[in-house]
Amino acid sequence: MSAIEILEGPLWKISAGIFVVFGLWRLAHILMTGRRRAKARPAGSPALGAVRTIFGHFLPSPTITHSSKTWFVTLMGYSFHLGLFALLLFAAPHVAFLKNQVLGFGWTPLPRWGFIVAAEFAFAGLLALWLRRMLDPVVRLISRPDDHIASGLTFLVMLTGCFALGEQSVVLRGIHLGLVELWLVYFPFSSLMHSFTWPLSRGLSGAMAGRRGTRA
Amino acid sequence: MSARRILSLILMLVFVAGAGLPGLAQEQPADNPRAATGGAQTLEEILARQRGEIGKIDLGIRTERPPAETPPITGPLGPRGNLPLSDFWDKLRGGDPLDVLKPASPEAAMTTTGEQWRLLRVNVLRKYLGWAPLAVIALLAVVYLVRGPMRISGGRSGRTIARFDLFQRVAHWFMASVFLFLGATGLLILLGRELLVPLIGKQANAILLTASMQGHNLFGPIFIFSLLWMFFKFVPGNLFKIVDIKWMLKLGGLFGGHVSSGRYNFGEKAWFWLVMLVGLVLSVTGIVMLFPWLVADIRWVQLSNVLHVMGGVALISVAFGHIYMGSVGMEGSLDAMTRGEVDENWAKEHHDLWYEEVRGTSDSVKEAAE
Repeated sequence: MSAIEILEGPLWKISAGIFVVFGLWRLAHILMTGRRRAKARPAGSPALGAVRTIFGHFLPSPTITHSSKTWFVTLMGYSFHLGLFALLLFAAPHVAFLKNQVLGFGWTPLPRWGFIVAAEFAFAGLLALWLRRMLDPVVRLISRPDDHIASGLTFLVMLTGCFALGEQSVVLRGIHLGLVELWLVYFPFSSLMHSFTWPLSRGLSGAMAGRRGTRA
Repeated sequence: MSARRILSLILMLVFVAGAGLPGLAQEQPADNPRAATGGAQTLEEILARQRGEIGKIDLGIRTERPPAETPPITGPLGPRGNLPLSDFWDKLRGGDPLDVLKPASPEAAMTTTGEQWRLLRVNVLRKYLGWAPLAVIALLAVVYLVRGPMRISGGRSGRTIARFDLFQRVAHWFMASVFLFLGATGLLILLGRELLVPLIGKQANAILLTASMQGHNLFGPIFIFSLLWMFFKFVPGNLFKIVDIKWMLKLGGLFGGHVSSGRYNFGEKAWFWLVMLVGLVLSVTGIVMLFPWLVADIRWVQLSNVLHVMGGVALISVAFGHIYMGSVGMEGSLDAMTRGEVDENWAKEHHDLWYEEVRGTSDSVKEAAE
């Protein structure tokens, strides 16, 4: 069995399995942890507060929009996340891979130029945010090694994907796939889980604030 | 003329004729069926080949030249028609080697400038220019070994002054990261064939180069973004002033003596504008090479390639000087771009006018120990 066959076969199944099993386990753990029921009479609707916070926090709070840091993080954050989302799910090689190896069905991929533009935004956003993490004294202090590992691993996955864009070399595809598998294994145990936990986090904060009659 | 002399002349003619006749007889058209075709395969041979009778075909045409006596191919069925070879190539090749701006004729299959571009790339750019960054590194190593790092005269004071805000530093390192990546992949594309093939072989080099090319193409537009970002973050303070002339005339105090300077000295300003202008050239030429259909004439792409290589190598080379001065070459300078603060004594020594300005207008000086 060649290296690429191992990467596309057993290693892919193992890493995808770890990603799914431990990702679900972490989500279940968060949902089942529970918290003490508040005894005070609610001053507002927790559900409304949760919904308002989940959707309202897509834009920065008006109280901090005067700060250039706010706009920097917002714009670069969207640039990275939307770019990554687009190239992860709508790049033609990824759609083909998901169709052939995972789901059995596919969908219309982005044209090549659209994929390239998405990658440009994703790279620029990630690089800018990672640099800010390293250079802003406050953010640097509150950053853990996990944050840097998650950023670095994501960057490497994207970079090797970019290297393999020509689809001319099995070696480059193998390197990219190997890093994707490492990323999948690391994912459930790291801050990368915020991809799935952000609605829970926002929802809880919003519900608590809504119950108190305030906004999160 | 005596009878003896006439007889000897006759004998000589007979001898010469007898010696030459066998050779002439071998080359008679009647004995060589290909003589009529100029050495090309005859109709019979072609039909035999089509019938699969390979063994009966003489394939000598592929390696042997036609006999010297073969009549020249001037008929309409010849490979060149009636054209002499020189005219044939003239028709095929367009453009004037002495006037590169003169457009090639529309029917030209290849341009003269294309060959010139190839020769320039192979014999000059790749052969000599690509080594410039290594030469600069060697020079800087010598400077470091001979002179050592420039120390802060009075040592560190322990008090710092804010020099660059967060976004200036992020913009700087953003551009630095992208530039270093583009520089490395660009040099690999330029020199990989000469430098790496002997070390890692053709296959590994091909993999490395295809990766480099994809990476280089994808990060190019990000460099344009970083260039714009840098411009707007750093252009205040980088306009030239009278004090810069003094700095330039004293070569920045390279040979001793103090030279006054504002927030940025002449060297820093020159580097800023070099990055902006050469960066602009790299951006435009890069776009032309990425999207060659934007220009109607292929020679713009060739010119873009040459300018891109020259500008890139020049910027990479000077960047090593910038990296040297910003790190090991000058004590305390790296702090400006990592922490955003510099030591007071460093500021007094290298940017005294800026230091006085800051001291007089703000209270940003603080104890480093805090």
